[in-house]
Amino acid sequence: MIRKGEKRKKRYGFLIDLRRCIGCHTCSVSCKAENGVPLKVFRSWVKIIEKGKYPNVSRSFLPSLCNNCDSPICLKNCPVKATWQRNDGIVMIDEHRCIGCKYCMASCPYDVRHINPLKKYVQKCYWCYHRVDKELVPACVEVCIGRARIFGDINDPNSEIAQLIATNPVQVLKPELATEPRVYYIGLDLDVMDPMKGWKGWRHDDGGE
Amino acid sequence: MDVQIIYNIPHERPLGYLIATYFYLTGLSAGSFVVSVIATIGGKVEYKPLGKIGAVLAPILLIFAPINLILDLERPLRFWHLFVYLNFTSPITYGTFLLTAYPLSGLIYAWFVFKGPQKMANFFGILGIPLAICTHGYTGFILALGKGRALWSTALMPSLFIVSAMVSGIALLILIASIRNRFFLKNPEEREKDKGLITGLGKFMGGIIIMDLFMVFNAILVLLTSTKEAYEVVKLMLFGSFSLEFLWIEIFLGGIVPLFLVFNKKTSKSLTWVTIASILTLIGVYSMRVVVVIAGQSVPLH
Ligand code: SF4
Ligand code: SF4
Repeated sequence: MIRKGEKRKKRYGFLIDLRRCIGCHTCSVSCKAENGVPLKVFRSWVKIIEKGKYPNVSRSFLPSLCNNCDSPICLKNCPVKATWQRNDGIVMIDEHRCIGCKYCMASCPYDVRHINPLKKYVQKCYWCYHRVDKELVPACVEVCIGRARIFGDINDPNSEIAQLIATNPVQVLKPELATEPRVYYIGLDLDVMDPMKGWKGWRHDDGGE
Repeated sequence: MDVQIIYNIPHERPLGYLIATYFYLTGLSAGSFVVSVIATIGGKVEYKPLGKIGAVLAPILLIFAPINLILDLERPLRFWHLFVYLNFTSPITYGTFLLTAYPLSGLIYAWFVFKGPQKMANFFGILGIPLAICTHGYTGFILALGKGRALWSTALMPSLFIVSAMVSGIALLILIASIRNRFFLKNPEEREKDKGLITGLGKFMGGIIIMDLFMVFNAILVLLTSTKEAYEVVKLMLFGSFSLEFLWIEIFLGGIVPLFLVFNKKTSKSLTWVTIASILTLIGVYSMRVVVVIAGQSVPLH
């Protein structure tokens, strides 16, 4: 609770309103362009599933990105403190310090980190902090054609994101793991957030030595 | 409900065979060190050669183990960051210092085992045991604290790693000791005595294999009845693409068969069969490391 006269801490959050998402991948593309993300890896993407039997079918979307968790396990496990957190909550990776041990990738319950195949260290989505610091919103929020992505300070009761969270049923991914994710979803479908649904039991033999 | 995944982005599997090999080598080292110390301190003169074998093996293995780790880094030349930028919530930070201290103490121990005095060997041996156990136990913590993976994040992991380390360490000692028996011992009487020691060690190995199998059984049973992801990963190990490595190599060839060989009346007295049991065990434990590391990451997270 914030008392009178106390300065409120800024805490960025991200909200995806799936009632407005059409699964067009504009966010994925803009992320690649904005951040120079190399081929073969993604920091932001949209998982799509199809469910039901004709004629009762539907598609559901799960736009995925780093949750910039409040209690990030990637940060706790990084042996050299290359992963660190800004006061506003954004989880960062110091590219000069990362040794590429990949322990963070193995620990993150959301599989949002990747090795940059050219530069050989780990990267992930950091909510375009370079734009945020200039009072702009992240690139994917800017381009989202359905205005399904909302970014802002969740501790500021006047922000759009705080109001949407306050007035809608929202949820986060894997809350039981106590990572305190800060990407919220409105209208998230049960089957699309379940990694096992539709999974064919492949063996993860690609990548890694 | 019919669900088809139309589009998704799985990322590269972060940890692979190099890490499994690293876990295997530290386990071998810790196991042979502990057995060596038991043999050195155990008192009886007959056991001394076993103590010496273990004393040499342990530091050698532990020099090769971290090479795997460094090779696995995306930026191997930055490995020195581990010594200067510390994060005390990360098990790898603890590991950095354990991996430095343990081989050093092992070398000092080995020196005294060969050169005497016996008292110093005993002292450094006892000092080294907790270090050896921590060095291997922390690798279990690396996995246990990877909270995203159902197979890893169990409290059983560190103990399971220590027990299987003991199994593999004893197996390696048996293997080397029986090579020594076969090719380097000339005196038939001495040879017979030495054989008795090795088959005795075989029984000791059998006992720890039982412990190991019991723990694996516990892990599997609990995983089967907990979360969906845990259930899927066990299904992968029992019936899916890892059943060869898990059921057949780790459990059957590396557990049940050696157990039979070291406790059966006939085979338990034969040096050849006990040696075969030790080789099978060594293969089984490697397979266990591979299954834990790779099957653990084979279930999708989103
Ligand atoms: S989503 Fe994963 S990478 Fe992002 S902060 Fe949370 S634990 Fe770390
Ligand atoms: S790969 Fe880099 S960021 Fe990740 S845990 Fe290792 S050093 Fe830290």
